Parts: sequence; C-alpha cells; structure tokens
Amino acid sequence: MLVIAESNSLYLGDMLFYLVSFIIMALLVWHFVWKPVTQMMEKRAKTVASDLDNAKQAREEATALAAKRQEELKGSQAEAAKIVDQAKKSAQTQGDQIVATAQADAQNLKAQAEKDAKQAREDALRGAKDEVANLSIEIASKLIQKELNADDQKALIDSYIEGLVKHES
Amino acid sequence: MGGDAFTFELFGLTFNWANILSGTLVFVLTFFILFALSRKLTLKPTGGQNVIEWIIDFTNGVVRSQMPADQVGNYSFFIFVLFVFLFIANQLGLILQFGWNGHELIKSPTADPVVTLTFSLCVITLTHFAGISQKGLKGYFKEYLSPSALMLPINLVEEFSNFLTLGLRIFGNIFAGEMLLKLLAEMAFSHGIPTMIVSLPLEMIWQAFSVFIGSIQAYVFVTLTTVYISRKVTEE
Repeated sequence: MLVIAESNSLYLGDMLFYLVSFIIMALLVWHFVWKPVTQMMEKRAKTVASDLDNAKQAREEATALAAKRQEELKGSQAEAAKIVDQAKKSAQTQGDQIVATAQADAQNLKAQAEKDAKQAREDALRGAKDEVANLSIEIASKLIQKELNADDQKALIDSYIEGLVKHES
Repeated sequence: MGGDAFTFELFGLTFNWANILSGTLVFVLTFFILFALSRKLTLKPTGGQNVIEWIIDFTNGVVRSQMPADQVGNYSFFIFVLFVFLFIANQLGLILQFGWNGHELIKSPTADPVVTLTFSLCVITLTHFAGISQKGLKGYFKEYLSPSALMLPINLVEEFSNFLTLGLRIFGNIFAGEMLLKLLAEMAFSHGIPTMIVSLPLEMIWQAFSVFIGSIQAYVFVTLTTVYISRKVTEE
C-alpha cells in the first residue's frame, strides 16, 4: 500500500471524511433523486397496469354491447314483421266488417222497401174498397135520382169494375 | 503518483488533500449529475429521466439477481448510490488530474487504497449488521460453524479477505490505469514531437480502455456487495 507507506500514518481523517460525505450525499440523493424517480416509476407501472385493465374492460363492454345490439336488431325485425302482419289482419277484418255491414244495410233497406210496398198496396186496396162502397152509394143515389136502363147500369158497373181492376194492379 | 502525499492534521487526525479535494468533487458531481437528470419528471419519460431510470433499473437488476425478493427494497438504494459514486470516481482521474507545487490534488479517489478500503470496510460491516438483524445473534454466529466447526478459521479468514479483496481490487485496477496514463504523458513530453506522436494514440487507447475498466470495476464492486449481503441474510 504505497500511499500509507509513504506517509507513515493512516489517513483516518480521510476515512471519516468519506464516510460522512457519502452519507450526506446519499441522503441528498435519496431525497432529491431516488424518491421522486422511483415514485414516478411506480406510478407508471400502476398506470400501465390500470390502463391494461381498463382496456380489457372496455373491450368486454363493447363486445357485450354489440351482441345486445344484434339481438335488439333481430327483435325489431321480428316486431316489424308482426306489426305488418297485424295491420294486414286488422285491415282484412275491417274490410269484412264493412262488407258485412253494407250487406246487412242493403238487406234492411230491401226488407223495408218490401214492407212499404206491401203497406202501400194494402192501403190502396183498403182505399179502393172504401171508394167502391162510396161509389156504390153514389151510384145508388144517382140511380135513385135518374132512371137507368139495364144496359146503362151494366155498362156503368163494368166500367167501375174495370177501373177497380186497373186501380188494383 | 506525482510527488509526496500532501497531508494536514486536524483534531489529531491525518487528512490527505488529494483525497479530500477529489472526494468532494466526486460527491458534488455525483449529486448534481443525478439531480440534473431527475428534473422534470413525467409519466412518459424523456431525456435525462430515461438515463436515470435506466441506471436505477440496472442497479435494481444487480440486486434482484442476487437477493431474495423480500430483501431487494432494503438495499436497492444503497447499491444505486454506491454504483453511481464509484463509476464517477473511477472516471474522474481519466478526465482530470491536477497537481500543484509538486503535490497531487485531483485524481480518482478510488486510486487510493484508503478510500477503497473505507468503502469495503463499510460494506463488510453492513453485511454483518444485515446478517445479525436478519437471523439474530445466534443464527449469525452459527454461520461461522457451518458446514462444520472445523470451518471456523477458514470462515473468519474469509471475512477478512473479503474486506481486503473488495477494496484492493478496485484500487489496483484504477491505480494501475492512472499510473500508466501518467507514464504515457511523461513519455510524450520526454523527447519532444516524436514521442508525442507515438504516445498520443496510446494515451487515447488506454483512456478508452480505462473507461471500460472503471465501469467494470464499479459493477464488480456493487455485485460483490450484494453477494456478500445476500450470503449473510439468506438461509443456507
């Protein structure tokens, strides 16, 4: 050991100086360099890990969402088909109903008309009977007022009956 | 080594100016280089932050490769500071050698055995403390008797030789490197221009090689430190 031999004494001071200086420097480096840098490295490691987790989660969510959308799409197609079907059916039933109502109305109208016609005929007949009676009375009174021969009477009655038949038909 | 050792006495202790000055320079350099590298820390590292994180990863790797995982956190900082300090100390003498009035004032601190043995003594003491705190006194002393009581003298000698070899290895390498640099420089100025032309490339080659040696020695020192610590703290 060259230096120690040269100086004939151990540099104890140097040893102490190096020891103390090294400790001071280490403390400074610890506080100003090591702690912030390692903290940053740890933070980065955490960030990367959480980012990876988040990405995984996001991907899973996206996949689930896509599947859900697909299902919904299928559902909506089926629903649309159903709606169209329903509309067709209801249109059919409505149409049928309208036709049925129209037929019923027509039937009613026809029946009413028939009934009315019958009524009118009956009324007419009744009227004719009354008229015949009146006419008979009138004829009788006229006969009484004026003498009629048999031929005239006959012709008169014939004409009335003819008129009656005409009236009836 | 140019000139006599330039010493002074204070509080009854002997100090060597060369060690004090160059040591202070290295401590200041180490702190400010690390300080400058660790400014403007961001989540996405840029510039200096990349460098310092690479160094931290490197020294953490050294610790992790030797120690059980639960012990890594305790020593990674010490190994980091020790590595950066020794690296800069080893390189300092290659860049800057300063003498005044026949006395050497600035050189690599690690080219002095007192300095390197100080560090190896600290490291060996640390290993003993780590061993005792990890295993207790009984477990610690039992290690000296393993694998059998006959190994006691060898184990004791090993502890002492670890201390010596750890300090003297780095001293020898750095001291020899600087010595050769100095001899080449002397040769350059001995016979004028012709020797300068010859020794300039030699000096450059040797400086490059010394940079390599200095890095390797800093790495070896911290690796052996972790090996010694982990031998004391792990069960065999």
